[in-house]
Amino acid sequence: MNFGGLHTSHRAIVAVAAIVFFVLTLVIAILPALREQAFPALAGIKPRGHEEERGRQVYMREGCGFCHTQFVRDLPMDRPYGRPSLPGDYALENPPMLGTQRTGPDLADVGSRQPSEAWHMIHLYDPRAVVPQSVMPGYRWFFVEKAQAGQDDLVVPVPAGRAPKGKVIVAGPDAIELVRYLLSLKQAKVSP
Amino acid sequence: MGLSAIRTRMRDPGLVAASSVDAATVQVLFEYVVCATIWLLVGTSIGLIASIKLHWPEFLPYSWLSFGRLRPVHTNTVLFGWSSLVLVGLCFYVVARTSRISLWSPGLARLALGLWNLALFGGLVTLLAGVSRGPQEYREWVWPLAAILAAAVLIDGYVMYRTVAARALHEVYVSNWYILGAFCYLPILYVTSYLPWYQGGLGNTVVQGYYMHNSMGMWFTQMALGISYYGIPRLLGRPVYSYALGVLGFWTNLLFYPMIGAHHFIFSPEAWWLQTTAILFSVGMMVPVWAGTGNLLLTFKGAAGAVSRSYALPFFVTGLIGYGLSSTQGTIEAFRSANIYWHFTNFTVGHSHAAMYGFIAFIAWGAVYGLLPRLTGREPNPLAVGVHFWLALVGVSTYVIAISVAGVLQGFAWVAGQSFIASVIAAEPMWLARTVGGLLMVSSHVVFAFNVWAMRPRRAEAPAVAPVAVRSPA
Repeated sequence: MNFGGLHTSHRAIVAVAAIVFFVLTLVIAILPALREQAFPALAGIKPRGHEEERGRQVYMREGCGFCHTQFVRDLPMDRPYGRPSLPGDYALENPPMLGTQRTGPDLADVGSRQPSEAWHMIHLYDPRAVVPQSVMPGYRWFFVEKAQAGQDDLVVPVPAGRAPKGKVIVAGPDAIELVRYLLSLKQAKVSP
Repeated sequence: MGLSAIRTRMRDPGLVAASSVDAATVQVLFEYVVCATIWLLVGTSIGLIASIKLHWPEFLPYSWLSFGRLRPVHTNTVLFGWSSLVLVGLCFYVVARTSRISLWSPGLARLALGLWNLALFGGLVTLLAGVSRGPQEYREWVWPLAAILAAAVLIDGYVMYRTVAARALHEVYVSNWYILGAFCYLPILYVTSYLPWYQGGLGNTVVQGYYMHNSMGMWFTQMALGISYYGIPRLLGRPVYSYALGVLGFWTNLLFYPMIGAHHFIFSPEAWWLQTTAILFSVGMMVPVWAGTGNLLLTFKGAAGAVSRSYALPFFVTGLIGYGLSSTQGTIEAFRSANIYWHFTNFTVGHSHAAMYGFIAFIAWGAVYGLLPRLTGREPNPLAVGVHFWLALVGVSTYVIAISVAGVLQGFAWVAGQSFIASVIAAEPMWLARTVGGLLMVSSHVVFAFNVWAMRPRRAEAPAVAPVAVRSPA
């Protein structure tokens, strides 16, 4: 059987396959990506401060985005998480962490939904201290156990029985930066 | 029938090492399979630990073993370590045999294997240590590691190309279309996914969908089909049902598959036309999928006896059914109406395991068991192969059913507007069942590792075997 001579030419097979795939890559990935990249940031989005940016690095390092999306769809079930996400929400994000799994809830607007620093600290130290059925890992290594808190220490108000007896739990730099980042996750207001 | 009778019945009485393949090719191919098997054990053990953590969150509470770090190590290790290496090794065999010559440069192939292992080990350590590009699936590695991997793929592709170029036959057998295609697509795909110039803001997400999807269908599927188009006719001793359908599958896969990456971001702020295009071409994918599945399954027509007498062919049959079913499932998931229930849920995890395990891994095992003894002259114990088969099949079925049910329960809880934690409570018993399936899968890999060792090449000083005539593949 003859397929335009391709069946006898390894050069032709490789050339055609590579060119076709490259053209499709341009059409379906690179050109659409250039267009999406051109969206300006929504008015009201400010670049992150130093600590918030460090916190974003912690978020990436620990793989939080494998269980938490930052991407609200225009569907009734997503209403609790904020307004539907827009391209302008992500303009300054590198990388944007929309995500593909919701083993935990969406965090696109978590800074508005849960603005308590203390709640986030306890939750990171021991998620089951605030949500008994949670399956999130506790990030104990973000915290230091001390006999007595120092002057500048941020003491985490862990409920009784959830921390070693006679110790106070002090937030380390990773915890402080990550919580700054989480509290900075607030969707910018858009006029309807 | 006694167990020894099964052993005798399933062994190939005429098996001798194919003398037409030089010892260096045999050795390097075997090294690819061995490295792949080690990465399989590592990658799936890590997957099992991650699975346990979902119903036992305090299990191994160390930063290096937290869920968020294990998850990318699991995916990258099983994708690039196990699946890629075993398929690349088998592809070397296919291009050499279908070209009727020795591998062009076993030395370069071995160099590439070293680079693969270097990148994989670096990826394992860096991701566990938290050095990551963030949750960008299958491109979490920092770029120097990605560059090493890209170099390995290019070297492997060059060896494949030179082997096919030096073939002793006029025509390029259809297997080699798929294999050469894979080595054209992955470098383009991989480089595109790492270059930054168009990945600002949501541009990154467009590339993410393109990359994570195509890395499956333009790499693993291509190689697995290329191997199947050689291995199945070879083991059955009859030509493929339709050569033309094989070629049709090659072209339609190339035209349809690259277009559908955006179906991972349905209802996202990405351009609506991009999402709709992805859904349309997801339907189009039924053409290459069922052309390939049907064609290869029809090759078995009237040869049911051969399947029952072979320990390799059941893996191929399972893999082909896995290909058809998991791909059809993927198409259905792309529809907006289904996506509402299934997106973001564990259903996607079930789908990816149905495809990468039910399809890719089973095809790879069929080819390893079917082809490796022909190279080395040593067979595994057929009973041990049977134990591997059933542990893997029952394991992956348990896994996929459990995690798919978990996904459906999550989706229903969300659509019903319940609090988020209701979806966690609903899914948790299924996560336990998933761990049971995963345990069976990992156990089957231990058996597989023993079987690979049983098939190791004879040492060079062993007496040479008499040359035998080798039937042509088609």
